Amino acid sequence: MGLLTNLKDSISRVTDGLFAADEPKRIGIYGPPNAGKTTLANRIARDWTGDAVGPESHIPHETRRARRKENVEIERNGRKVTIDIVDTPGVTTKVDYKEFLDHDMEKDDAVRRSREATEGVAEAMHWLREDVDGVIYVLDSTTDPFTQVNTMLIGIIESQDLPALILANKTDLPGSDVQQIANAFPQHETIPLSALEGDNMDEVYTKIAEYFG
Amino acid sequence: MPHQCTTCGRTFPDGSKEMLSGCPDCGGNKFQFKPASETADEQPSSGGDEPPATDRQSPPTDRQSPTDRQSPTDRQSPTDHQSPTDHQSSPADGQPAADNRPAADSHPTSADDATAAGDAAAPESPRPDSGTPDDQSVTPNPSGSDPNGSDSEHVRERSEENVAQASARSDVVSPDELDRASRDVESAPASGDPDSDAPAETEGPRPDIDDLRDELNEQFESIRIVSPGKYELNLMELYDRQEYIISLQEDGRYVIEMPDAWGIQDE
Repeated sequence: MGLLTNLKDSISRVTDGLFAADEPKRIGIYGPPNAGKTTLANRIARDWTGDAVGPESHIPHETRRARRKENVEIERNGRKVTIDIVDTPGVTTKVDYKEFLDHDMEKDDAVRRSREATEGVAEAMHWLREDVDGVIYVLDSTTDPFTQVNTMLIGIIESQDLPALILANKTDLPGSDVQQIANAFPQHETIPLSALEGDNMDEVYTKIAEYFG
Repeated sequence: MPHQCTTCGRTFPDGSKEMLSGCPDCGGNKFQFKPASETADEQPSSGGDEPPATDRQSPPTDRQSPTDRQSPTDRQSPTDHQSPTDHQSSPADGQPAADNRPAADSHPTSADDATAAGDAAAPESPRPDSGTPDDQSVTPNPSGSDPNGSDSEHVRERSEENVAQASARSDVVSPDELDRASRDVESAPASGDPDSDAPAETEGPRPDIDDLRDELNEQFESIRIVSPGKYELNLMELYDRQEYIISLQEDGRYVIEMPDAWGIQDE
C-alpha cells in the first residue's frame, strides 16, 4: 500500500511539473492609443475562444484598464500554444481632455476620461515591468512610427529581453505604410495585418505560436 | 542633524522618531530638514515668518536631492526636505499658529507636511492614499496630552530608512508645488512665493538651477498634472517605479499600491 502511495505521489509530481512548464505565457498587447490593440485582442479572443475582450472605439483611450483574457489556445501546425492576452491602455506621454471634446463629450466626462487614461498608462507601464512574458506591439501603419513612445517602449521591451512581435495594423486603410514601420524597427520582424478586417491573421497566429509558444 | 525644531532649535538625526509627536523640549511641531551634506553651517531658523535673505534660492536647492537617484535612500530627501517648505507655505491655513501649541493640539507636521496646502480644510480626516502606514501611525498623538510623544517612539520598529523612505515615496506633492515645478526659473523667485523661506541657509557650490529643474521634471515626477484633465507622463519613471499608481485624485494626489516587498531592499 505504501509502495502504491509513493508511486502515485511521484506520478502526480511529474504531471504537476509538466503542467507547470506549460503554464500559459502572459502576452501584453502594447502600443500607442488608437493603434487597434483592443480590436486585435478581440479578434484573437473571438477566433479562439468565442468571447471578446473589451469595447473598441475610434475615440482614443477607450481602454483605460488592462483587460485580460486567459487561456487562449492557439493551434498552429498541429501544435497548441496557450497564452493569456493582456490588452493594455494606449501608452502616451501626454493626455489632454481637450482631445476628447472633439468627440462630443462633455467637459466633465472628458476630464474624467483623461484622468482614467493617465491611470491606464501608469497601469500599462506597471504591467510591462512586472507581469508580461512577451509583447505584441501594435502600430497604426498609417502613422509615423518614429515617436518617443514607440522608441521608449521598444527599448524597454528589448532591455528586458522580452520576445516581441511588431504588428503593422490598419493595412486596410489607404495611407498604410508597412515598410515605414519595418524600417523604424529593423531589429524586429514586422507583420502587416488588419485586425478590423481580419486580413493576414493566419500569419499573425503563426508568428504568435512561434514567438510565444 | 537633518531635522531641527524651528521653535527651540533642537536637532534630531535623520529618521528620528522622537520628533514625530512634537519636539520633546518645547512641544513645537514645526521642523526643518537639512540633508547631512548641508549641515556644515546650519543655523536655527526662527520659524516661518522671518524669511532669511537667501531664502529665494531654497526651492531649487531643495530639489537637488531627487536628481541623484542612485539609491533608494536618496529618495527620502525630497519629501523630508520639503517639509518645512510646505509648512511655511501655508500661513493662511492655520499651520503657523500651531507653532507654540503642544503637539497634541495639532498634527505633528512631519506627517502632514507635503499635504499641508491641500489638507488644510480637513486636517483630521484620514488621508485617502492609504498606502502610508508609517505616516498614519505617527500623525495623531494618541494620548492627546503627551507633548513628548514618547509613547509613539517604540511603536515603529522599522529602520530609519524605511520610515523616511516610505514617507518620501508616499507623501504627496501639493498642487502648488506641481505648479511651481513647472514654472520658469526666473518666475519662481520673482513670485515671492511664501514657500521660499524654508531651510534657507543653504550653502556650498550650487548646481545650475536650470539643469536641476529640468532633471527634476524629467526624472522625478512620473505624472505631472498640468491642469485638471491635462497630464504629462514620464514613462521611464512610471516604468521604474516599484509601486503601482492606482488612481489620481483631483487635488493632485495619487493612490498607490505599495509593493509587498517594500522596505526589504532598504534594510
